[in-house]
Amino acid sequence: MSATIDVDDDSPVHPGEHHDHGPSDATYFKVFWILVAITALEVSTYFWDVWFGESSWSLAVPLLILLMVVKFVLIASVFMHLRFDSKLLTRIFYFGLAVACIVYLVALAVMNIFTDNGNPWFNDPPPAVTPSAVVTGEDTGG
Amino acid sequence: MTDVALEPMDDVEFPDDVHATSTGISNPKLAMWTYLASDCLLFGGLISTYLLYRNRPGNIPGLSGSSLRASELFNIPFTSMTSFVLLMSSLTMVLAVNSAIRKDVDRMRLWLVATAVLGGLFLGGQVYEFTEFVREGLGFTSNVSASAFYTLTGLHGAHVAVGVLMLISAVVYAARRTLTAEAVEVLGLYWHFVDIVWVVIFAIVYLIP
Repeated sequence: MSATIDVDDDSPVHPGEHHDHGPSDATYFKVFWILVAITALEVSTYFWDVWFGESSWSLAVPLLILLMVVKFVLIASVFMHLRFDSKLLTRIFYFGLAVACIVYLVALAVMNIFTDNGNPWFNDPPPAVTPSAVVTGEDTGG
Repeated sequence: MTDVALEPMDDVEFPDDVHATSTGISNPKLAMWTYLASDCLLFGGLISTYLLYRNRPGNIPGLSGSSLRASELFNIPFTSMTSFVLLMSSLTMVLAVNSAIRKDVDRMRLWLVATAVLGGLFLGGQVYEFTEFVREGLGFTSNVSASAFYTLTGLHGAHVAVGVLMLISAVVYAARRTLTAEAVEVLGLYWHFVDIVWVVIFAIVYLIP
């Protein structure tokens, strides 16, 4: 087939816009295999408690968060071309992401998800509600 | 207020008046990035909601609700496979974008179709997972934990479904020779974002206990 894509070849190179789209296919394959390796390591943590015991979770959780961030940045930088495009796009995207992280971390902190202070309505399983508690409207927390 | 006379800007040169923008970035691309930034807030809210409610099965005596939690039913090897499928679709998408930039329309179409197929496979996996959960007795309204789980993963699935529809449209437009390389790039941004969101969901919802 000899069809061609309707690309505007005469479009100018605008200030701040990078028309060099960077990586070759080989680079994308490299990044893909790195992502696959990281995913395999992530999945392996699921079996760590069987292999290394329950205490391994204290290492697994921070590692999972770190690997998640690495994957996120790799995809955004290379596959989404943030590394090769205008810095404005990077600022827009990471600003939205930062706002989301701050807002929701604060919201989760307010709702005591990071502490176990006896609040039964968020994260921890709720207490048993007895018929007398329902009738008298006893405050069970919250 | 004083009247300000607007002078004609004859001396200002626009190399291409259709594409010139004050930011130097094409409007569709800028719009897509802005949308993706706002989508971070949407998914952030849903992930936070799930984190809040995941340990709250509705086993309160006197109140209706299942005591099951979604996390008790997770099939990690299966979900790992669907995660791998989505990761692979990101690779095929980026290869489609590269082919579009090189004006290699045949390969671009091939990679777009491959991406759509992989996206469909991921969706199939999600439907299978949801079906299994419902068979086990965990429906959308079983308890707040289940509702939070289905809302989060279901909305992500809806994003994937929209992406697959856009990919199919792109293949049709490519056949009509009316598809621009920029359109493929913008579509690629959306698709990679869907993959990025799954990276976060997979780690936080499925893997972290």
